[in-house]
Amino acid sequence: MDRKQLKLQNDVQLVPQLALFVDEVCEDAGLDMATTMKLNLAIEEAVVNVMNYAYPQDTVGDIYIEAQADDEQLEFDISDSGSPFDPTVRQEVDTTLSAEERPIGGLGIHLVRQIMDSINYERVGGNNILRLVKKLK
Amino acid sequence: MKTTIEEKNGELVATFEGRLDTAASVQTAKDIEPLNDCSGQDIILDCTHLDYIASSGLRLFLGVLKDAKVKGSKVYVKGLNNDLKSVFAMTGFINLFEFK
Repeated sequence: MDRKQLKLQNDVQLVPQLALFVDEVCEDAGLDMATTMKLNLAIEEAVVNVMNYAYPQDTVGDIYIEAQADDEQLEFDISDSGSPFDPTVRQEVDTTLSAEERPIGGLGIHLVRQIMDSINYERVGGNNILRLVKKLK
Repeated sequence: MKTTIEEKNGELVATFEGRLDTAASVQTAKDIEPLNDCSGQDIILDCTHLDYIASSGLRLFLGVLKDAKVKGSKVYVKGLNNDLKSVFAMTGFINLFEFK
């Protein structure tokens, strides 16, 4: 599969554009509907995290999503030039708590961890780069 | 994404249709506000025609549940498809709600 790229601004109303991009990537990689839905969810959560936290409120910033697949794996790189932010160090949520005890946040990165096989964060030359990998075999 | 709320047989039924992604959750949060007025009736979250839910949507469901518990109402989730069930399982939400 050729490398595909999508550029979005930090506005969560653009999420439907991201979903179309992920659908296309998954279709080219020959993935089934159930896997496509899960990848959509993981990529949405990771990108929304960047949209919400990378740039100061009320400033416009760009986010790049690049996808590449081979026989072994499907890889998404999410990058931005905002402030350093490593979502992988976020504490794991406790999914066994009762409704009263469950905090309202922290679910997004938990879903990314559940769905993807690996998540790596790097800060390179003023950019945050988050690499999400799903093994295809 | 379309959300409708109606009272049926003494229960409050919220029906969700479409994709409850982060973009849609802003409007959906407003659409489900009438559920806060519930005074002890049970609440049904009908997901028969819901195709997708992100964590922002799950947070809305958790908010409904937290409010309802205080009032002694039960919250039932109805008609989840298998893909959405797996999302509920991954987040532990499968243990929080009752299912119909």
